[in-house]
Amino acid sequence: MTALLRYQTALLLRSQRWLPPVVLYAAALGIGVQGGQPVLDSLGWAAAVLLPVAAWLVRICVTSEPPAARGCVSAARGPARAHLAPVLVALAAAVVLGAAATVVVTLVSDPVSTGRATRVPPLPAAGAGLLAALVCALLGTAVGALTAWPVLRSPGRAVPALLLAALLALVASGSPARAAVGDLVAGSKSGAVPLPLLPLAGAVVVAVVAVAAACVLSSRRPSA
Amino acid sequence: MRRELRLDGVGRRYALRGPWVLRGVDLAVEPGTLVRVEGANGTGKSTLLRLLAGIDAPTEGRVTGRPRTAYVPERFPPALPFTAARYLTHLGTVHGLSRRTAARAAGQWLERLGAAGYADTPLTRLSKGSSQKVAVAQALLAEPELLVLDEAWTGLDAEARAELERAVAERTADGGTVVFVDHDPGRLAGASDAVYVVRDGTLHRRTGLEPEPMPSGPRVVVRVQGPPGAALPGDVRRTAASAEESGPGCHTLTVPASHSDVLLRTLLTARPPWHVVGVHAPEDRR
Repeated sequence: MTALLRYQTALLLRSQRWLPPVVLYAAALGIGVQGGQPVLDSLGWAAAVLLPVAAWLVRICVTSEPPAARGCVSAARGPARAHLAPVLVALAAAVVLGAAATVVVTLVSDPVSTGRATRVPPLPAAGAGLLAALVCALLGTAVGALTAWPVLRSPGRAVPALLLAALLALVASGSPARAAVGDLVAGSKSGAVPLPLLPLAGAVVVAVVAVAAACVLSSRRPSA
Repeated sequence: MRRELRLDGVGRRYALRGPWVLRGVDLAVEPGTLVRVEGANGTGKSTLLRLLAGIDAPTEGRVTGRPRTAYVPERFPPALPFTAARYLTHLGTVHGLSRRTAARAAGQWLERLGAAGYADTPLTRLSKGSSQKVAVAQALLAEPELLVLDEAWTGLDAEARAELERAVAERTADGGTVVFVDHDPGRLAGASDAVYVVRDGTLHRRTGLEPEPMPSGPRVVVRVQGPPGAALPGDVRRTAASAEESGPGCHTLTVPASHSDVLLRTLLTARPPWHVVGVHAPEDRR
């Protein structure tokens, strides 16, 4: 599995297809986060925007190999692992992005609540932001895995489905991403740093189920 | 001792209620055998090979006993951001080699296939034949126990085609299984242990009763002399197309050209070793 992950990481880094989602993420942060704003609010925005970016990264990683090359890897390691590796690499990339954004946002934001009435300690705030980013990365991974090959094959349907699913994952009630981001925003209002562990558990379950389903399907659907 | 590779009642269709591409396929392949699969275009040969290679799961039935596998696709589009050597090193590690071993094997196989000059060329700039060589090297560098070749010879030059035939002979001599599809009836002619035909959505074994349209393919004659009283090693008897005793301890062996190296290696490394008196083409038999 290590060799597969290393191969997929090299594929992602050398293809330079990671550039558009990273630029999009940086732009979204530039629009939504300004220096001196309340830290938890800004961290909530940074986490929320990470979700579609993670989904896009998964799409990039699972479509980066031509079917023939994927066949060679599948024969060696099995189709499920051949599919799992690019998904995990995309998730790792999203987590790295989210962690970097959390650090930057914490540094530039003011450690205060929304009304500037209460002081919010920056280190616990960064921890909460990191957890929320993790929740959104996991849910974005689930969205990306379910809206790309082998679940959806034609890009004409897959891309709108990805956008719609990413939006739903952010706004639908009961979604762990909405809960985690909502916790941060509510915490910013009250001045109490939340600990979104329940949303994290939910996101892990959703991501594991979605990715497992995609991996099982990968040997059953025709190659794109 | 490895188990045989078995397909039991295997069927495959691509959509939930779609037509069956293959159905009721039963197949058992012993380790160390060379299996040829024939059939017209679009009959499901590639589907069968993908099931054998484990790339696709059967819709019904079971595949069991699949060992360490490598696969060469019929077309290898090189849309990957690596040089040939780097891609092969990655694939070698995916096949389970260490990085150093993979890099060395990558270099050796590119050289054997006559593509050493392309080692540092990006895959996207390779010609169709050269990228097919990369696909072949990818499959061979980890010495797989099951090698699945889907028209792997297509696009290769004559030297690389012969080299791939010799590599197939080496794999089976090492106890590996090779399953291949190729439209050239002379491909590894006379060396296949079994021939199957994909027809009407299922697999038929070609038996000796059916007409044999295959030409015998190029042959090499090897004259050898054994230690006093020794019988021909079993592997030699299996590799050779025919063997006749031409004198006391002397044998004249006819072998498919692709398997001559393997035959000589077996004879020379036998304990005690055999003496090779002569190697020549069938015409200039003296």
